[in-house]
Amino acid sequence: MASALETLMELRDDPYSRARAWKERTGGSVVGFFCCYAPEELLHAAGALPVRVTGENRTVSKAGAHLQSYCCSLARTALDMALTGDLDFLDGTVFVHTCDTMQRLSDIWRLNAGYPFHVDFALPVRFEGKLAAEYTRAELGLVRSKLAHALGQFDDDAIRESIRVYNRNRALLTELYDLRRADPGIMPCDQAVWVVASAALMDKAEHNEILEEILSDLRGASGRSDRIRLFGVGSVMDQWEFLGMLEDLGGTFADDDFCTGHRYFEGDVSEEGDPLDALTGRLMERGQCACKHTPDRERSARIVQRARACGARGAIFFQFKFCEPHGFDYPAIKKALDEAGFATLELEMEQGSVSIEQLRTRVEALLETIRG
Amino acid sequence: MADEKIKSPKIQATEQMKQLITEYYIDAKTTKLPEGSHKPICWITSGGPVEFLIAADVIPIYPENHGAMCGAARIAPGLAEVAEKMGFSRDLCSYARADIGGALTESGAIPGGLPKPDFLLCCNNICGTVVKWYEELARIFDVPMFLFDTPFIHVEKPEHATEYVRQQCLELVKFLEERTGSGFSLERFAEVAMLSVEAVDLWKGVLATAESRPSPFTCFDAFIHMAPIVTLRGTQKVVDYYKLLKKEMEDRVAQGVGAVHDEKYRLIWDNIPIWYEMRNLGNLFAENRACLVADTYTTAWAVDIRIEDPLTSMADAYTKVYLNISIDIMLEQLVELMERYEADGLVMHSNRSCKPYSLGQYDLSRAVAERTGKPSLIIEADMTDSRVYSEAQTRERVEAFIESL
Ligand code: SF4
Ligand code: SF4
Repeated sequence: MASALETLMELRDDPYSRARAWKERTGGSVVGFFCCYAPEELLHAAGALPVRVTGENRTVSKAGAHLQSYCCSLARTALDMALTGDLDFLDGTVFVHTCDTMQRLSDIWRLNAGYPFHVDFALPVRFEGKLAAEYTRAELGLVRSKLAHALGQFDDDAIRESIRVYNRNRALLTELYDLRRADPGIMPCDQAVWVVASAALMDKAEHNEILEEILSDLRGASGRSDRIRLFGVGSVMDQWEFLGMLEDLGGTFADDDFCTGHRYFEGDVSEEGDPLDALTGRLMERGQCACKHTPDRERSARIVQRARACGARGAIFFQFKFCEPHGFDYPAIKKALDEAGFATLELEMEQGSVSIEQLRTRVEALLETIRG
Repeated sequence: MADEKIKSPKIQATEQMKQLITEYYIDAKTTKLPEGSHKPICWITSGGPVEFLIAADVIPIYPENHGAMCGAARIAPGLAEVAEKMGFSRDLCSYARADIGGALTESGAIPGGLPKPDFLLCCNNICGTVVKWYEELARIFDVPMFLFDTPFIHVEKPEHATEYVRQQCLELVKFLEERTGSGFSLERFAEVAMLSVEAVDLWKGVLATAESRPSPFTCFDAFIHMAPIVTLRGTQKVVDYYKLLKKEMEDRVAQGVGAVHDEKYRLIWDNIPIWYEMRNLGNLFAENRACLVADTYTTAWAVDIRIEDPLTSMADAYTKVYLNISIDIMLEQLVELMERYEADGLVMHSNRSCKPYSLGQYDLSRAVAERTGKPSLIIEADMTDSRVYSEAQTRERVEAFIESL
């Protein structure tokens, strides 16, 4: 029988197969979302399966009629997946306000993708202070009522139960990252990042079971890795071939700031009190995305601190071409990392046209610099 | 071809406008109060609630307006390169790149560059880009930044969104009191808001004169004459200026003077101008007897403020601006514009710098055709970065489009 990890790795070749099977088995609704600020717990409490869409490596055929070529590949390929019917198992989509591109993609998606329901969660951009928290709480309430309308009523207890399941998932993923920070050799980074990404592609309770098994194998394991530890900066990381190559060249991400990585599971939701207050709390307090404004918490300081904590000697920025928020953050974060003595490398890519050979040369050069 | 015939008549008020803007920049650069202090300077986004600054006697400076000037003067690419060398990607908004370059080198379209800010007021009702851009300015100048956060409107605007913005008005007042060290006067604010409303109404009146055939001005003129409404609304000078301009346009209408000789086609422009190409484009359309009678850009400053409840109505108005609404609401406004100005077609500038304005244009152009039966032309360019622009290709496409009308 395949091990838990093997089962999970198989999913990487067909990421939505479990969602499809779940839908067939349970007859429940599958709801797509893009951003890790999406209120997954609410969808879960409504009995739906939230599934994350982050585009994929493909050449677009239909999305070009809606989105210009200077739009990021995440939006373009995701829209293409919807328009060509590859996401036909979706019953609806939840969009979160993040960047200008996502905000327009939401319009275009709502008008063209043709799924039964569409909800926008208009998060604030300011992520500090009482006003923003109050607004977020009110907006979450509105999203909840829209979801109840589309998917059926669900009560506070159901949300609390979902919060517990999600907190468990976050705790297990945190443990995985803790173990890897102590010894990255126990699991290559392409697998570790996938283990996190897969959490948003299947039923959470099932993912928890799989994680328990994986972790019981890893606890006490020793990888004795002499790989060069690096820190990953970016948004979505779905370039498995690239991560595999990084491992082959003798490097590894010991920790990261990817929104499909560490940022996905960071921060707990309180299991006490009003569940929407609790969800608001996590939204406002967790590690911030480039799309959010948090004047008292500079992203660069946090990234430097985390790069240090994982023993990294360098950092790789994995940037989507045409991405405004992350593009604007890059110079300041790079400067902070430079000043703290980290070697850095910026890689810019578009899903569907990643040239591994070109990236290899540049990663090799970075590793050479570090080895000295 | 007789050049004389196609030359557009000159707008007399242009001189006053230039003077107004020059004075404004000279004042901003030379403001000195006793004891070596100066009037506080605040850099503000084009969609920001400037009325608060004017009421607090703070000088507003608009990097976007300056970006447009740098674009028109064709110096934006050089400034952008400074930012690009620091690691800012060439794919980022070119206003931001040029402004960051200008800030670091203290240069630009006005000698010595823009006067340095004491603080920043960023309103994200036009885009999320400005938040990132102003964060960088806050780092460069080491000054505080106030983010005036206006939630995007997808289908409808919930009550709590207006309340969130209204409460921020009060926070902004506090912020300004702390910065300027003096109390904020609500009476003064109401006065400023009233002047702002008056100027906006006059501006709307100017734009409305283009409903006549022939139209007395083109959107290329509007792009130039919008500078005061963007930068100085809320002052008496601006009210006076638009009275003058409106009168001149009304006279033209009365005398049947058109901006384009023998106007035959009436078109609507969508998106920010291609600043470095304005003159050429203006001539190109005029040669083909096409007048761009209105646009979605200059109408964006036509916000309504109600004097009875300035804060709530301002919160509402600033949240509902053209770039902060979904494309189906945009479509309604676009169709209304097409009908009101009896347009024969739509010219869309697909502006690689500006994603909130440009993404969605393909859908909009199809929807406009469906609703009005009118065709559109999409020009791929950038508002200030001429390095990505092809003049020959644009000329060819414009001529073919007009021929097809
Ligand atoms: S944050 Fe960047 S990569 Fe993500 S959707 Fe927006 S522009 Fe694209
Ligand atoms: S051009 Fe567009 S992206 Fe740039 S500042 Fe203006 S609205 Fe924002």
